[in-house]
Amino acid sequence: MARPHIEPFCDRDTHFKPMRLLGFGAGMHYKMLSMDVDTGACSMTVQFDGGYKRSPGFSWSEYELIVIEGELKVGDRVCRKGHYFYVPAGYAMPEISSDQGCLLLYMYNTGEPSHEEATTHHASTQTQLYHDVDSYMDLSWAMGNVAKPSVATGCMIKLLNYNPNSFAMTFLYCMTPNFYQDNISYHDCAEESYHLWGTSWMMQFGDVPTGGYFWRPAYINHGAFASEYGCIALGRVDSKLFNHFHYNPWSTPVENADRSEARLLARDPLLYHWAFSQDHNHPHSPKDFELTMPRRANEAGHDTEHKSDGHRHDHWHGHHHHDEESPHTHDHSHDHSHDHRMTMTTNIKPGS
Amino acid sequence: MTFKNLYIDHERTSEAEDWVKEEIAEQEARFAEIEASMEALAPTREKWYQEFFDRIKTNGFNLDGDDKMPIPDSDLPVKTADRKDQVVWKYGVDSDDTPRNGQEA
Repeated sequence: MARPHIEPFCDRDTHFKPMRLLGFGAGMHYKMLSMDVDTGACSMTVQFDGGYKRSPGFSWSEYELIVIEGELKVGDRVCRKGHYFYVPAGYAMPEISSDQGCLLLYMYNTGEPSHEEATTHHASTQTQLYHDVDSYMDLSWAMGNVAKPSVATGCMIKLLNYNPNSFAMTFLYCMTPNFYQDNISYHDCAEESYHLWGTSWMMQFGDVPTGGYFWRPAYINHGAFASEYGCIALGRVDSKLFNHFHYNPWSTPVENADRSEARLLARDPLLYHWAFSQDHNHPHSPKDFELTMPRRANEAGHDTEHKSDGHRHDHWHGHHHHDEESPHTHDHSHDHSHDHRMTMTTNIKPGS
Repeated sequence: MTFKNLYIDHERTSEAEDWVKEEIAEQEARFAEIEASMEALAPTREKWYQEFFDRIKTNGFNLDGDDKMPIPDSDLPVKTADRKDQVVWKYGVDSDDTPRNGQEA
């Protein structure tokens, strides 16, 4: 069921609670913004008291964090407001501390908050994914048209993190004073936002002030949009962002999702028919052949010295022999039907 | 949540299990408050909808970026009697109470 729709919510309306999970130490307080009811993944506003210290260590979940106010020390580095961190699961961070205290936004993406004392990374860590940046000082605002159709002029972004597999993004966005955009939008992905400063307005939910927050599941209407004095916020989407604009405030999430599907059919009819054709609905997710195809580096036992030169038969088709006599076969079984002889054209009805 | 990034499998402690349960219970209460406050906002929202319709008829509807198109009055949607003004949907399309194709569940 993932996270419920939390919108609108303002963390200024609630009190900090002391963090009592082991490993975080005394002097850490939090306000829960939203939590995934299946995994415990969550977003929290966090306050470190002056003098707070946490030993070096890692989290079982990947997390993201941005400094809202004050100074955070990471090892010997002093990180000021606007500093953003993407920390992969298992990535051992040095000691973190705050001399005078600070306010942070923590987002645990794949599990509940955890802290395991360690000075080395977990063996499974994708250490190359770690990055941090002073997003206020070291990044420039870019036009907000990362998706097409796009937002109106006056909504700009700074991209902080991008997942090339899911197209999930984390970004700062701002609205200039007197920004407005007269349409209703929904997306095929969940969206999250925390207002670092300023107020924006949406027609369904009213004002979102400083400390305002939402976690919005996919296909839920939001907008028209406006900001009288401007705002700056941290936003996230959990997969590819596409703006479906319309002007019917009474459409439901199911109707919106159906519309997305209809638009997929209009935009990518061949893909649509392949994905939804009879006898080809996989009970598991569709396969991405790039993840499973044989590659040259895996070709143990084959001639790896000589490549195709027009004279040799070098078997650069890996182990996908379709000859029934071949000793190389697919070693998996399916309990559902496949019709591999099916062609695209047989499943596209005239006029559909 | 489908960020689809790495999670390193581990056994959740009973302490963490209790903490998550408590937070989920509090989140349920928070959601109920939000839902009630958004229902209470419905009369104001109705006025906002009509102002929105006025603007997109005159100034135009934002098609893409700053490209705008005025929407004829005849094209504006109508709220049918059986349609509720609902803006909070607990789990989006996965909500038990989500109307299917515009019909109440």
